[in-house]
Amino acid sequence: MKKRFRQGGGVLLRVLLFSLLLTLVFTLTANLLPQVEGEAPVDREIDLAALTLDGFVALGETIFKGKGTCTLCHNDMGRAPDILAIDMVETAKEHLADPRYRGQATTVTEYLHESLVDPSVYVVRGYGKKGSNDTISPMPAVDKAPIQLNEVEMNAVIAFMEAKDGHEVSVPLPDSLPDDAPEPAGGEPAATATPVAAQSPEEALGKHGCTACHAIAGSEATLGPDLRSVGARLDAPAIRQSIVDPDAAIAEGYDAGLMPADIADKMTVSELEMIVDYLLRQRGGQ
Amino acid sequence: MNKKPQLSRWLPLLWLILALTGLSLTLPSVAGAADVSATTLAERIRPVDAGGVRPELFAPEAQAGERIAMPAPRLKREDYPSIGVSSRSVVWVIAQMHLFFAAFVLAVPLFVLVIEWIGVRTGDPRYDDMARECMKISMTAYSITAIFGGTLAFALFLLYPQFMGYLFHVFDRQVLVYAFLFFAESAFLYIYYYSWQALRHGNRKWVHLTLGLMLNTVGTTLLLIANAWVTFMMAPSGVDASGVVTGSIWEIMKGPLWNPINLHRFIANVAFGGAVIGAYAAYKFLSSRDPKLRAHYDWMGYTANFIAILSFLPLPFAGYWLMAEIYAYSQQMGITAMGGILAWLFIVQAVLIGTILLAGNYYLWSGMSRTPGARRYYWLIKYIALVLVGSFLVWVTPHTLILSADEMKTLGGNSHKLLGPLGIMPAKNIAVNLMLIFTFLSFQLFRRSDKEVTVSWAGFGNALMVSIYVVAVVNVVFAGVYYGYFTNTVYKVGSSVIQVVSTLTVIVAGVVIDSLMFRGARKLPTTWGQVSNRAQYALFALPVAFTWLMALMGYVRSSVRTHWHVYTVMKDNSPDNYIPTIGHAGNMMTIVTVLFLLFVLFIFWVASLADKKQPKPAFLDGGAA
Amino acid sequence: MFDNSLINWVLAIVIVLAFFYGLDHFVMSAQGLPLNLDLTPAQ
Repeated sequence: MKKRFRQGGGVLLRVLLFSLLLTLVFTLTANLLPQVEGEAPVDREIDLAALTLDGFVALGETIFKGKGTCTLCHNDMGRAPDILAIDMVETAKEHLADPRYRGQATTVTEYLHESLVDPSVYVVRGYGKKGSNDTISPMPAVDKAPIQLNEVEMNAVIAFMEAKDGHEVSVPLPDSLPDDAPEPAGGEPAATATPVAAQSPEEALGKHGCTACHAIAGSEATLGPDLRSVGARLDAPAIRQSIVDPDAAIAEGYDAGLMPADIADKMTVSELEMIVDYLLRQRGGQ
Repeated sequence: MNKKPQLSRWLPLLWLILALTGLSLTLPSVAGAADVSATTLAERIRPVDAGGVRPELFAPEAQAGERIAMPAPRLKREDYPSIGVSSRSVVWVIAQMHLFFAAFVLAVPLFVLVIEWIGVRTGDPRYDDMARECMKISMTAYSITAIFGGTLAFALFLLYPQFMGYLFHVFDRQVLVYAFLFFAESAFLYIYYYSWQALRHGNRKWVHLTLGLMLNTVGTTLLLIANAWVTFMMAPSGVDASGVVTGSIWEIMKGPLWNPINLHRFIANVAFGGAVIGAYAAYKFLSSRDPKLRAHYDWMGYTANFIAILSFLPLPFAGYWLMAEIYAYSQQMGITAMGGILAWLFIVQAVLIGTILLAGNYYLWSGMSRTPGARRYYWLIKYIALVLVGSFLVWVTPHTLILSADEMKTLGGNSHKLLGPLGIMPAKNIAVNLMLIFTFLSFQLFRRSDKEVTVSWAGFGNALMVSIYVVAVVNVVFAGVYYGYFTNTVYKVGSSVIQVVSTLTVIVAGVVIDSLMFRGARKLPTTWGQVSNRAQYALFALPVAFTWLMALMGYVRSSVRTHWHVYTVMKDNSPDNYIPTIGHAGNMMTIVTVLFLLFVLFIFWVASLADKKQPKPAFLDGGAA
Repeated sequence: MFDNSLINWVLAIVIVLAFFYGLDHFVMSAQGLPLNLDLTPAQ
C-alpha cells in the first residue's frame, strides 16, 4: 500500500516539476525579450493661439509619429511610401500630374489633405490592396476612427510633411480654436509663459515692427515696399512667403537682407494669418 | 455476431440534416426579431371597434420588436468601477480559465464521437473503452467550465458594466439563446455519458452516436455564438460609426473575422483536447505497474497524440487566414499585431510551436521502439530533427530589434544585415511549412513502421511519395525565397498560399497514397507498453505548451484592439487602456497555465476516484465469524 | 508498377513536377496575381 502511494506521489511530483520547469522556460523567454509598454492615448491641451509656425510643424511631427500612427506603415519596410524619406511636395506634384489621378485636388495641400481623408482616390503604384490593381488603398481614413484626427491635427501633419524638406508651409494655419475650446481672450487664462497674441491686425503690425519700415496702418515709412496696395499685387501664399522668408523674393528697387528673417518665428500662427488676411485686403486706391 | 440493422444507420445522418436545418432556420429568426413584422404592435392589437378607444394607449414610444437607437457609451476614467486591483487582470485570469475549460469540454466530445464510431467500425472494444474514459474526464471539467463562466459574467458586469450593457444591447435576444442552449448541452452531455452502457450494441449504439452528434452540434453552436461577441469587439459589423445597431443579428454576428475564428478555434480545441487527454494517459501509464494497464495507456496516449498532432497541422493555416482577414479589415490592426508593438509575441509563439512540434515528433520517434519494422526508418530521424531545429531557429529570429541609438549605430540599422532577412514573413513561412511537412513525415513513418506492403505497385507508390516530398519542399523554399525577396509585396504575400497548398498536398497525398498502398498489408507485431518513460514526458510537454500558447494567442487577439473595447466604436478609457509589457503578459500566462494545470490534476484525480472501491474491513464483518 | 525502377522514379518526378508547376500557376492566378511561363510575376 505504501509503495503504491509513494510511486503515485512520485509520479505526480515529477510531472508537476517537469511542467513547471517548462512553463518557466516560456516565462523566461517572455521576460528576457525587450520590454516595451504601449502608450495609453493621452489628451494634450494645446494653446493654438500661442502656437508659432515651428511649433505647429513640430506638433505635426508628434502626431505623425504618435496619435496618427503613420509610422506604423509609412516606413522603410515597403508597406507604404516612406514619407520621412520622400520629398512630399515634389511627390504630390508628380501624383497630381499622373493620368491615373482621379481626385479633386489641384494644389499640393489639397492633395495631401485628400490622401488623408480619402486614401483610395489615388493609390501609388504597387501599394494597393491585393487584387484591387492599385485602386483600393489599405490606408484607413485618418479623420475617422480609430485614428480620428481633427482638422487642426491633419493640417499640422500636412505642415510637417511640407516643412521637413524645406518647402513653404501652405496649409491654412489655425487662427481659432476648435468649437469646444475656450477663446484666449475669454475666461480661461492661457498656459503660463506663452506670449499673449495680438487681437487685431493693426496691433500685430505694430507689435512686430512692420510699421517701422512699411507704409501701412497709418505709417508712411519708405524703408520697405508700400503695403497699402499689396493685396492687388500679391496673393496670400506670396504675402506669407515674404514674411516667413523675406529674401526669397525681393521687390524691385529694394535690397536683400534688410528685412529681419526671423519676424515670422516671433509671431504666433494666429497673428501671422491675421496679418496676411489684412494685407490681402489692402488694394490701394482709397 | 453483430448484424447492424440498416435503418438505424441512417439515423445520425437524418439527425444531422434536421439539426442543421433547424439551427439555420431558428438561429437568425429567434435571435433577430428586429425585422419580425411590418405592422406595429398597436395595429396588431387594435380592437375591432376603434371608436371609443384612446389611440394614445396603443402607441407606445418604442414599438415592441424595435430596438432603441443606442450609440456606444463614451466613458471617462471615473466611470469605471474599481475594486482595488487591476480589473483587466481579474477578467484576464477568469476569462482565460473559462476558455481553457470550454475548449476542453467542447473538444473531447468531438473526438470521442469519432473514436466511438471507429470502435463501431472496427469492432475493437478498446476504442469504445477509451471514448468512455475520455468522457468521464470531461464531465468534471464541464462543471468547472460553468463555474468559470458564471464567475466571468459576474466579473464583467461588476468591472465593465457599461460595456456589457452595450454589448448585450447589440446582441439582444441572442444572449438568451446562448443561455438556454446550455440546458440542451447539459442534457445531451449527461444522457450521452450515463447511457453509454445501456445503449452499447446494435441499434441502440446508433442512438447513442446520435446523442453524441447532438451534443457536438449544441457545443459547436455555443462556440459560434461566443465567437461572435469576441469578433464583434475586434471588427464590429452591423453597427454604424457611433455604435448604433443598423443591421440584423446575422449581420452583427457575421463580421469579417467570425469564420476565421470559428475555424481556428474549432480545430485548436480538438488539438488542445487531444493533448490534455494524452497527458492523462501518460500520467496513468507512469503510475501503473500492471503491464496490461501500461499497454492500454500507452495505446491511449498514442491515439490522443495522434489526434493532437493531426489537428495541430492545419492550425497555422487557420491562424494565417485569421491574420489575413485582420489585415484586410484593418491594415493598421494587422501591423500592430505582427509589425508593431505586439510583434515580439510571435517570436515567443515560435518558441512554443517549436516545443510542440519537437515534443510531438520526439514522441513519435520514441514510439517507433514498439515495433521492429521501424528500424528501417531510423536513419531518417536525424535529418528530420535537423530540419526541425534549423527551421525553428529561423522562425525564432526576429527582424526589427528594439535598440538604443548606440546599438543601432553598431549594428548599422535596426536589423542585422545577415540575419535580418530571416526575420520577415517569407523566411518564417518557409520555416513553418517545412516543420509541418517534416512532422507529417515522422507521422507517416510511424504509421508505416508496423506494416509491410503487399500491393504490386509499391515501387511506383513510394517513388511518387518521395517525389511529392522533395518537390513540395523545393516549391516551398522557391516560393518563399523568390517571391519573398525578389518581387513586390502583393506577390510576396500571395506566395504564402503556394506554400500552404504544397504542405497540404503532402499531407493529403500521404494519407491517400498510404491508405491505398497498405490495403492488405502484412502487419508486424507492435508491443504496446514497450516505450520509454521518457517519451511520456513529451505527452506532458504538449498540453503545457498548448495551454501557454492558447493564453498567448488569446492575449494577442485581445490586445490588438489597443485602446478600444469595441474597435473604432467604443473607446477604452479604463486605467488599463495600454498594452502591458511582454514580461507582464508572460507572467499572467504562466499564472493561468499553472492554475489550469492544478485544476486538470484535480480533474484526473476525481475521474479515477469514482473507480476506487474501499474493501470492507474485517472488523466490520461481524468479527472472525 | 514497372519492372524498371528507374522508369518508376522518372515518371513519378515528372508527374509531380508538372502537378506543382500547375499548382503554382493556379494558386497565384486565383488571387489575381498571374505568372509568366517561367513563374515570374506577370504584373
